[in-house]
Order: sequence, then C-alpha cells, then structure tokens
Amino acid sequence: MGKISAPKSNREFIEACVKSGDAVRIQQEVDWDNEAGAIVRRVCELGEAAPFMENIKDYPGFSYFGAPLSTYRRMAIALGMDPSSTLPQIGAEYLKRTNSEPIAPVIIDKRDAPCKENILLGDDVDLCKLPVPLVHDGDGGRYVGTWHGVITKHPVRGDVNWGMYRQMMWDGRTMSGAVFPFSDLGKTLTDYYLPRGEGCPFATAIGLSPLAAMAACAPSPIPEPELTGMLSGEPVRLVKCETNDLEVPADAEIIIEGMILPDYKVEEGPFGEYTGYRTSPRDFRVTFRVDAITYRNNATMTISNMGVPQDEGQLLRSFSLGLELEKLLKSQGIPVTGVYMHPRSTHHMMIVGVKPTYAGIAMQIAQLAFGSKLGPWFHMVMVVDDQTDIFNWDEVYHAFCTRCNPERGIHVFKNTTGTALYPHATPHDRKYSIGSQVLFDCLWPVDWDKTNDVPTVVSFKNVYTKDIQEKVLNNWADYGFRGRK
Amino acid sequence: MANQWEVFVMDLGELAEGKELELTIRTLNPGIHKYTYQRVKAEVSGTLDKFADRLQVRMGRGQLSDRKFSIRVIEQVQRMPARYL
Repeated sequence: MGKISAPKSNREFIEACVKSGDAVRIQQEVDWDNEAGAIVRRVCELGEAAPFMENIKDYPGFSYFGAPLSTYRRMAIALGMDPSSTLPQIGAEYLKRTNSEPIAPVIIDKRDAPCKENILLGDDVDLCKLPVPLVHDGDGGRYVGTWHGVITKHPVRGDVNWGMYRQMMWDGRTMSGAVFPFSDLGKTLTDYYLPRGEGCPFATAIGLSPLAAMAACAPSPIPEPELTGMLSGEPVRLVKCETNDLEVPADAEIIIEGMILPDYKVEEGPFGEYTGYRTSPRDFRVTFRVDAITYRNNATMTISNMGVPQDEGQLLRSFSLGLELEKLLKSQGIPVTGVYMHPRSTHHMMIVGVKPTYAGIAMQIAQLAFGSKLGPWFHMVMVVDDQTDIFNWDEVYHAFCTRCNPERGIHVFKNTTGTALYPHATPHDRKYSIGSQVLFDCLWPVDWDKTNDVPTVVSFKNVYTKDIQEKVLNNWADYGFRGRK
Repeated sequence: MANQWEVFVMDLGELAEGKELELTIRTLNPGIHKYTYQRVKAEVSGTLDKFADRLQVRMGRGQLSDRKFSIRVIEQVQRMPARYL
C-alpha cells in the first residue's frame, strides 16, 4: 500500500478543509446557546462547507468545528484522497485499508501529548468551563459528546472500545448518555460492571482526528485504535489518562475522564437524533461522573447536529455499515456485487446487489445482515440483482416497485433487536429495544425460465445493440440535443 | 433578581399546585451554567406572581408548553450517593 497522506489531527483536517473550500472560518461571535447548533443544522441541510467558528460567546480561546464529515468530499479529505473522489472510489479505498494488517498504537510521554496542555483536577473540574453547546432548541441539555469517542476497556477480555455514545451535561461534574444494551459498551456494563456494582472507568475524547472519529463510528470488529492506524497508515498516538489506566488519543482537543456509575442514574434527553426526529423518551440513563478534564490550548470542540438528512452520523454510519456488511457477506462466499446504504435513509435501508445464483439467496443475506452485530442499526434490507446499479436510486426504486412480489418478496422478521430511536416503533418497543425488520427480495425467482418467464428490462442500455447505442450517442449533439450524452 | 427555571414533564398534571413536589429543574439564568440541572423540593403555582421565580415547562419531546408557572425552591435534594460526590 502506498504512503497515505491523511490529516493526523482535527486541526490538520480543518486546515485541509479550509484550503479546499470545504470549510469556512467564522470570526464573528457565535452563541453556544442554539446559534452554533442552528448554523450546523443549516449546513447539513444545504450540504454546505463545514463551519469553523472561532469566537464563541462566554468562551474566549475555544472554537467549534461543525459538521466535520457530513459530505463525501470531506470524507475523502479525511482519508487523504482527492475531494472529488466518487463514493465507490472512497468505499474501495476504505475496504483496501481496513483489509490490511492492523497497525498497533504507540504510547507517548505525557509531555509530548497536546491534550495535556491544560489539566483540571479536583475542585477545578467543571464541564461548564467547556463551550458545551445547546445543539437543538428543546434538547434535554447541552451535549458534550456529539462527535467524539467514549473510551472504555473490558477488564477481563482487555477489549478497548471507542464508541460514539451521546453525552448530555447534567451538571458541572455529571453527564448522562444513551448506551444501548446491544452496543459494545452496553455489553461490557451488563457483562461485568453492573453485576459487580463496580464503576467503569471511561474517557471521552472530543476533537478526534477525522479517521479516529470514523473508526469510533464504524461497526467494525477491529479495535478502534488499530482501525485508526489502518485508515491513516501509521500508528495512532495514545497517552495515559490522569485518573485511570485508559489510554486516549494524544492529539485530541479535549479529554474528559471519570467513571460510569453502576448504581445511580440521572435523566437524559430528549435529543434531536439521526433519524430526523426526537424519538427516544427522556429517561434515566447511564451516568458518567467526571474526575478530570484535559484540553489543548485553543481547543476546538467538534459538533455534529443530528436531524433530517444529511449529517455525518447518517453519512458515515451508512458508509461504514454498508462496507462492513459487504465484508461479512463476502466472507460467507455470497456473490455480492456491492452493498450501499443511502445516507438519506438515515441508515435504515441496506441495498445489496448480488448475482442470484441459487434459491433463497436474498433470505440468506437478510438473515446474515439482521443476525450480525450490525443488524440492530437498520431494519430494511433490499436485495437486487447484479444488473441493477445499487448507487442509482432510480434503478433501485424501479427494481423494488416492479420485481418485489407483495406476497412472496416481502419477509418480516419479528421480535428482533431494535433501538429506542426508531420513530416507527411503539413506546414499549423503544423502551426495551425491541425491533422488527423486513427483507424486500427484488430478485427474479431462480425457478423462472430466463427466456420466457423473466421480463426484459426495457432501457436504452439493455434493449439496443452496442452499435446502435454508440451511433446514437455519437450523434447526440448533431440531433440537436444539449447536455451530456 | 428572580431566577428562571425549566422542567421537563410528560404530563402537566405532574405540576400539582398547593403541595410540595420533588422536581428535576434546570436553570435558564444567563451564563456558563445555563441548562445545568438540580433536584429540588419546590412548590409551583399557575399564578405567576405567587412566587418570585419563574418556571417554564417542556414536554417529553422538548415541546415548549404555553403554560407558565411561578416556583419556590424550598431546598436542594442530593440523590447521588455520597461516595460519588
């Protein structure tokens, strides 16, 4: 693999985005109370350049970087690619890097770690000293963590997890967050800490390098520190925490250390969510007690504003869920031609292209997809054949509307794992993470005679000979048509 | 100066008047501590000039209620076990 030249920190990423026109510097004062959130929301809805807000009311010296990865252009920049790279190119690069050898992190001395430039301990600890934004009007609180990594470790297995679990500031030393029981952290808590009544050490890292954030967001079985190394082509630099034994990315902007309480909860939510709604109820949720805060000089807090499409949660989660499912299906020998989630589905619909070489292949795909670790994050799988361009919604929608037999092609899976965030779920199902899922099988049945039973697609590229197609394309402008061929 | 508070409820019936309630409220006073929570014992009233402080109400999904209340915070309640303080 050639040398990768990707931004190694949030700061390098901002600089690269400003240079390419994919970020704008905002120097006038911006209020942390709704205004910054509203800017980021509008940026997401318009697909605009990411706002780098350098002057935050009440918080001199701090800045915000909003919507860091809400476009494929910025995702390409994060990977060190040409910003105009296409989605299939970005996906191929992600697969190439994440199929390479894991790259272990390195531990550096505290004196070399930028995140230790300022250290708050004891009575100095106060989350209100950080410019925690009120992201959406009506949210249950100011959200510390919207684009970040919550770092924990399973004390027996040693598994390190960097996960993007939203965190709300309850008071100056307490946060609460949504941690689903099927998530890595949820399993660690229920498997080890809660039965023992022990607190779980955590560290929240904000202002990660974009590839570390990508790793924290990806549902990959590879531990995030190694995955970050694979994505960036070199080891990620870690440094030990001040108050526990966890290791955190040394180049992160802000680190919050503490303990997840095993036997005490405070309220969390509501919050504007990636589905485009406030769905999950305000409830007593996992509670984080803060023991230390460390941060860089002139720290930049990253903000994701979840809501209607499209934000980085939808974009990146769709991207990584699709590619991780593609890896899983290929590992099982299924002849998939590609997997794609449109971010505007708010990562709820998985589109799988496959060569329909045997009966039941769509069902096999759905069972693997829903039965895997990825499954709770989406509830629709649509399987199309290898002649359908999975990235072209017009083709996919046509296949769905014409080939999916209402009686034979729609299969509902009941009593599966869901999330509290599904807008379509009942209040009861949300509370207990009960889900249901559906397969849309858009393949022609294999027992249909291919000559006489399977309909012919009537399209320019399918019914005319290559000679005719070329002749028409070559003469297109001469016929008097403008625009692309 | 009177304090501004906000509370989240699922039903306005949770804000019964004429009795001591235990509520989780957040401050709306300007400054860096805005939106931080505390648990309190308090009395509320739909009569705005009954108590000095004001209470704004939001429903379960963040919708702002038209109903306004005045509130008297009697005392803070510490729910968190002492070992975590």
